[in-house]
Amino acid sequence: MARSNQVFITRRVALKAGLAALAASGGFVAATRAAFAEDTLAEIKKRGELVAATEMQFPPFDISDNGVYKGLDRDLIDAVGKELGVKVTYLDLPWTSVLPGLEAKKFDLVIAPVTITKERMKHYAFTVPIADATAALMKRADDKSIMKPEDIAGKTVGGQKGTSQVEQLKAFAAKLPKPVEIKEYVDNNQSYADLAAGRVDASVNSLPNLAYAAQQRSDTFALVLPPFGQPTYFSWVARLDDKSLVDAVNTAILKVSADGRMAEMQKRWFGQTMELPKTVPAPTI
Amino acid sequence: MKPEVILHSFGYLTEAAGVTIAVSLAGIVIGFAVGALVCAARVSHRLSLKRIGTLYVSVFRGVPLLVQLLFIYYFLAEFGLDVPAIVAAVSGLALSSAAYQAEILRGALNAVPRGQSEAAVALGFAGVDVWRRILMPQALRISIPPLINEFILLLKASSLVSVVGIAELTRVSMNIASLTYRPLEAYVGGGLFYLAINLVLAGFGAIAERRLAIGGVR
Repeated sequence: MARSNQVFITRRVALKAGLAALAASGGFVAATRAAFAEDTLAEIKKRGELVAATEMQFPPFDISDNGVYKGLDRDLIDAVGKELGVKVTYLDLPWTSVLPGLEAKKFDLVIAPVTITKERMKHYAFTVPIADATAALMKRADDKSIMKPEDIAGKTVGGQKGTSQVEQLKAFAAKLPKPVEIKEYVDNNQSYADLAAGRVDASVNSLPNLAYAAQQRSDTFALVLPPFGQPTYFSWVARLDDKSLVDAVNTAILKVSADGRMAEMQKRWFGQTMELPKTVPAPTI
Repeated sequence: MKPEVILHSFGYLTEAAGVTIAVSLAGIVIGFAVGALVCAARVSHRLSLKRIGTLYVSVFRGVPLLVQLLFIYYFLAEFGLDVPAIVAAVSGLALSSAAYQAEILRGALNAVPRGQSEAAVALGFAGVDVWRRILMPQALRISIPPLINEFILLLKASSLVSVVGIAELTRVSMNIASLTYRPLEAYVGGGLFYLAINLVLAGFGAIAERRLAIGGVR
């Protein structure tokens, strides 16, 4: 008797909660469906807000300095937002969640630097390049055995899993006389940490990233020049069908490049200026 | 080792610790409510309810929390159900913790000697009162150590909610590591915050145990 009484109350409460949840989720579905029916650019303009996502662990492009988002991407997307006349909101997601999140329409644009590759061109719409992405190597500052990229033959190199720089390294290593052991990490910082600790002999990443790291910890790290990879570029990406958004962002980036604001940002974050293609280049890798 | 890295980021870490505490606390509270319902279903005499309870525990205890979070945040969006990040984080933690808490509560109920409810019925207690005055207080007392255990586990598992974009303690430690290129200092800083929070939580558990304890009774 006691038990069935208890169960009765429980069931009634559960039923009520379930109905409430159902009603709430139904409302959600209706609201979001309506929003997605429109063109993304038109929707951004209407709500006056562009929602952009990146992983804020990619200096000098994306940094979270005591909770404040900084870096080249921040400066550039702010300038682009100004051109479009909208406010920009930034999301910090782990890299592995960034591209799935774009497809799930959790935000409008990926402002993490994404290397343009043939494979990715099939799935995403790329903007015009925002920076050089050519793969390079970094070594320990006191290591005299690596003076040029070819010296990594027979050694161990670390890099971030799923990046085009690691793919370029594999292609480069295949042509060397001795095999190179490649260790893949969840993010570049673990690769750098293992480089400092002596577990790997070099780290692979894009030249701007490594130049910044070597400059920040010049006591520990040094660049191996020249970059070994094919010339490649970083772009931002949108969903494949968001052509109007990409066109608007491209126009804004080109304007920022033309009036010298881009050069200022490059000086601030890379310590030097670099020429970038004015159209989306055909991928070399 | 450069301790000034931790000091420089102290405010940032404190803020992130606040997020970790808030998300975990919400997960614990909602998880306890759902867990109590699931436990009630599992000890029910109705077969259908019993089965629903068992199914709930199997699914939410059997699927990794990370997968649950990704499912709630990304997979539901494919069906037009746009769950905000914070809702996905809290509900992921709460739903998975509810499965564990339900089993803790069920175990505690089973640990109350059968003679207790029999004696209560013999003394003329009404059905609801047997639960309210005899079974629940004793079960709650028994369940406190494993519940505190579960709360501490949940607090540490909350590091996973960064996959939906919540800047909690582990995520912020990683941000600091990438900003400063000093991972060791950043993770030591984050670890100390976790330790401090969990010591407080364990302290509350000890207080609760002492207050609920009855002299001479287990």
